[in-house]
Amino acid sequence: MDHRGSVKVPDGKLVEVTVSGDRRIESAQVTGDFFLEPPDARTDLEAAIEGHSFEVDRETLLEAIESVDARFIGFDTDHLVEATLEAIE
Amino acid sequence: MNLRVVDSGTYSEPVQQALERVLVDRLAAGEIEPTLRLWYRETPAVPLGRFQAYGDEVATDYVDEHDIDVVRRITGGGAMYVEPGAVITYSLYLPREAVSDDVEESYAELDQFAIDALRALGLDVRHEPLNDIAHPEGKIGGAAQLRTDGAVLHHTTMSYELDIAEMLRVLRIGEEKVSDKAIKSAEKRVARIGDHIDASRSEVVDAMIDATGEYYDTVEGGLSDDVIADARELADEQFTTDEWNRQL
Repeated sequence: MDHRGSVKVPDGKLVEVTVSGDRRIESAQVTGDFFLEPPDARTDLEAAIEGHSFEVDRETLLEAIESVDARFIGFDTDHLVEATLEAIE
Repeated sequence: MNLRVVDSGTYSEPVQQALERVLVDRLAAGEIEPTLRLWYRETPAVPLGRFQAYGDEVATDYVDEHDIDVVRRITGGGAMYVEPGAVITYSLYLPREAVSDDVEESYAELDQFAIDALRALGLDVRHEPLNDIAHPEGKIGGAAQLRTDGAVLHHTTMSYELDIAEMLRVLRIGEEKVSDKAIKSAEKRVARIGDHIDASRSEVVDAMIDATGEYYDTVEGGLSDDVIADARELADEQFTTDEWNRQL
């Protein structure tokens, strides 16, 4: 089953995270009107979100997302964590 | 810096978006000069942001019934609805070292010539971070960039006389945005150049090209047959396929 969380960054972009799974994030999709360099880092961010339990804490998710080498424009790693936590709430 | 100005060539939306890839790569390879390109479109279309979910942004039944091309860009940012002659789109392909590393600053800098031109024509516009061109009555346009190892692509679309009612039929305003009243009104509030000044679209384009003189040494140019052939091939392989356009 898909779960979605989204965050509208004040004066910034929309970041949406859609996850599938029950107690564990089986797959994740990150979408929105943000900018990301390099663009292919999107799939690395998704991989960083996947595999975590629905009980994952904020720090663990943040650490996983920050391990991806990418430049966030119009949003930051906290917004992505926020949207992910909302999706698995 | 020299700037080649290409103010010709009418292409389908997939070829337009393919040209962006071809030209930014050729610039990075040193095969073309820094270039400003003005776009001429064949049909109404929706350029979709690279990371947007197709079904979230586009009224899918409506675009299918009306044969509106929805083409995913290589740049992030948001979806737009565009019509031939009703919007002004331009692209800059520049060496990476000629563009500020500060992304926010670079959006302001690279749209400045267009803002200068519009202001000189009497339109009250300003850059609004991160990537908008704003008028007191609403958003005139928006920009998007792609940075590669050697080059920066910066492209901007502005509304000249866009059919806003049609835009609202074609684009789905995101739920998240609709839930935020301030954002909802901002999204729907598109200001159009033609509503506020007397200049024709081509007069605005000419004024923009003139305004580049403040920042660049401009020369007129065109796209080579080779570039166009590459773009047509890439459009067939990528920008006309569901695999690319509907990947998300």
